[in-house]
Amino acid sequence: MQIQSRFCSHRLAALLISLTFWSGLPGPVHAQEELRIATSYKLMTLDPHYANLNENTSLLSHIYERLVYQDDRLDLQPGLAVSWRAVSDRQWQFKLRENVRFHDGSPLTADDVVYTIERIRDFLKSPSGGFRSYVTGIESVSAPDPLTVVIDTNGNIPNLPLSFSSIFVMNRPAQGFQTTEELNAGRAGHPPVGTGPYTFESWSSGEVLKLARNDDYWGGRPGWPQVTFRVIESPAARVAALSTGEVDLADAIPARDVASLKQRGARIASVGAARINFLQFDVERDRLPGVTDKSGEPIANPFKDALVRRALAMATDRGILVDKILSGYGTAAAQVFPVGLPGTSETLQPEAPKYDEAKALLAKAGFPDGFNLLLAGPAGRYPGDGESLQAIAQSWARIGVKVQPAAAPFSVFNTKRAAGDYAVWYGGASGEAVDIILHALLASPDPESGNGALNFGHYRNQAFDAMLARAESIQEGPERNRALAEATEFVMADQPIIPLYHFHHIVGYGPRVASYAMHPRGWTTAMQTLAATE
Amino acid sequence: MPLISVVLGRLSQAFLLLIAMSLIGFIGVHSVGNPVFNVVNIETATPEDIHAATIALGLDQPIWRQYLAFIGNVVSGNFGTSYIYHLPAFELVMSKLPATLELASIAMLIAAPLGTGLGLLAGRRSGTLFDRTMVKASVSALSIPSFWLAMMLILVGAILTGWFPSGGRGLTASFLGQEWSFLTGNGLWHMVLPALALAIPNIALIARLSRSGTIEVENLDFTRFCRAKGLSSRRILLRHTLPNISVPIVTIIGLQFGGMLAFAVVVETIFSWPGVGKLLIDSIQLLDRPVVMATLTFIAVAFVALNALVDLFYAVLDPRVRLSS
Repeated sequence: MQIQSRFCSHRLAALLISLTFWSGLPGPVHAQEELRIATSYKLMTLDPHYANLNENTSLLSHIYERLVYQDDRLDLQPGLAVSWRAVSDRQWQFKLRENVRFHDGSPLTADDVVYTIERIRDFLKSPSGGFRSYVTGIESVSAPDPLTVVIDTNGNIPNLPLSFSSIFVMNRPAQGFQTTEELNAGRAGHPPVGTGPYTFESWSSGEVLKLARNDDYWGGRPGWPQVTFRVIESPAARVAALSTGEVDLADAIPARDVASLKQRGARIASVGAARINFLQFDVERDRLPGVTDKSGEPIANPFKDALVRRALAMATDRGILVDKILSGYGTAAAQVFPVGLPGTSETLQPEAPKYDEAKALLAKAGFPDGFNLLLAGPAGRYPGDGESLQAIAQSWARIGVKVQPAAAPFSVFNTKRAAGDYAVWYGGASGEAVDIILHALLASPDPESGNGALNFGHYRNQAFDAMLARAESIQEGPERNRALAEATEFVMADQPIIPLYHFHHIVGYGPRVASYAMHPRGWTTAMQTLAATE
Repeated sequence: MPLISVVLGRLSQAFLLLIAMSLIGFIGVHSVGNPVFNVVNIETATPEDIHAATIALGLDQPIWRQYLAFIGNVVSGNFGTSYIYHLPAFELVMSKLPATLELASIAMLIAAPLGTGLGLLAGRRSGTLFDRTMVKASVSALSIPSFWLAMMLILVGAILTGWFPSGGRGLTASFLGQEWSFLTGNGLWHMVLPALALAIPNIALIARLSRSGTIEVENLDFTRFCRAKGLSSRRILLRHTLPNISVPIVTIIGLQFGGMLAFAVVVETIFSWPGVGKLLIDSIQLLDRPVVMATLTFIAVAFVALNALVDLFYAVLDPRVRLSS
């Protein structure tokens, strides 16, 4: 009893101290209707064309807008363009929305779109190449009238509109081009001016981005007078900030923290990401580092044999990855996007592990006793990456394949992979559409055309290349999607990669947010929130 | 004349230190990995993009040529442009400095007087309950990993009680062209937990140092004479013991302060306090070499300057140093 009362008085004293402290302070200055977001995306530049990274585009999408949008089914929807059509195989026409104004008051015209393309193609020389790959197919662009953009391409590009779902439209200055330095200087230079629902207030790199409502927004008055993004890279710190109510919304919540957040009254939204994590094999070289027989002697590359790849795929327990490692916030994968998105196949379903059959396949391929290998992967880049290597090692051990997992920091991993130090590794890929991933991951590598940019294992399948090329020549629509699904089914039968899972984007939000609409591309925006009405 | 030679000696030492540091840092970052993979979007980039980026960053050159180019730029006052942020690297470091400086200063303002005071008292009453408690507490405070301490402070101070914010700098006010948190009440409020997380291990360290110093000095002849002359124990403690134990304490304060400026990584990360330490570790992870080099250079210069300051303090605090020179 004595102890208890003393404890209480201590608490009371502390409370009093804190109260007196508070009363003398200007108080927390988030206005009643400021939306505060803790984000893992650290906005690194205010130049919307500098680097094609979600870290930049997610937050800049409040200020700048695009001609077309992808909805949550990844279908294209009108943005700054109200309609678009292919005039011929090599010409596209976009009709712009009327009465759209930039934040400085100037109207959006077709010339601004021309400027945007010129800035990306001719002016910016960012080391990453920025968005240049999206406009390489454009021969010329012109503005016959203020609301019409005509684009001539140097080939048939049926999915050109999709490129414009990534390109932010800037307005043409009085002369020349705006430089990255001017934009980065913020208020001291030329603060970013777009057509978006929120206007730029202030920015501090890697710390904070403040936005204010654009009352003249063409799509109606945005929901929040003020929006503040705080860059909090540590997941634990994001969770803590949401728990204490310092922010209203936090993105990229670790799956293991979901339960405790829910207990504290936060709500959770999640969606399967339009991306894939997978295992990739080197199928080109004759000898591979780290691949040996049971006595430790190097052996010929076993992954050239589709039977071996098949056997390893059958011996992979995706259930453990999804249920245990991702705590249910992941979807087992059998193809490049979650089933249901355009271009995915209904018939490709993730299979449960079949160890006996896998062992038989391995014996048929000439490895009745299995072999040893080193399984590489990045650590801390994707949800569940390092742990997945351990789990897969245990699964494969059941068919006699002894795995030494080797997780490395992402940049080290990439350097070693590029240097050819790995035989089989964990990877990730994302893109706007199924065909873009198929193109990068599974098409035969060709530096000329840029095909197979992520096909680091040099898998080559000419029949699949032809099927993919045919599918890509078809206009957007069900027929194209069916052709893509068929190509996927065809190539996955050969198991060039082992799809593991599509992890989920997880967002947590507090009482001032009524709901949050998830999007498979995983951006975090104020536009996806609905303010709670009191 | 001796002053000039001392200064020249110091400067040449500092210069050698900077050269050695830059060489180690440069080769270190170079051998970790290739920064190109962090500059381009590795999930969409074509080999051509990667090749173009390699040339744009000058990474196709041999390492010694890259190093010479870097040294040449530094001599003309240019640390290069951050690969990741596309801002001048040194400006980027300087923009993070106020946050670090104010946090480290406040932490040291808490730690130095508190640690010294506790140590003096404990040493004076060595063997008493207070002394034994102090020793045990300081051992545990020193052995707690700083991330755990930071987490516990957040758990207790922010999540369970809700008294303090769990992270961030809060409101800032402009002063000397920089943004400072300590000028606003809300900013100070945000500083409490991270400053405590930095201060607690230092309190323990300084207290232990001053305790052992006090015990040693208390047994020396001059203290006995003081006592025999009838000086009050308080006067002995403050006017005679304290100056005599201050040299190692000032040394450790200087070193720890430098450490807080540069390597408060854990605390800065957990409290999302955007300071120099966090910038350094982020940049190492992203292999952003210009920023890593600019930060390391700043840290080296800061340590050299702090050491010089500490030496000056010796002269102020200890008459013997003054007399000998």
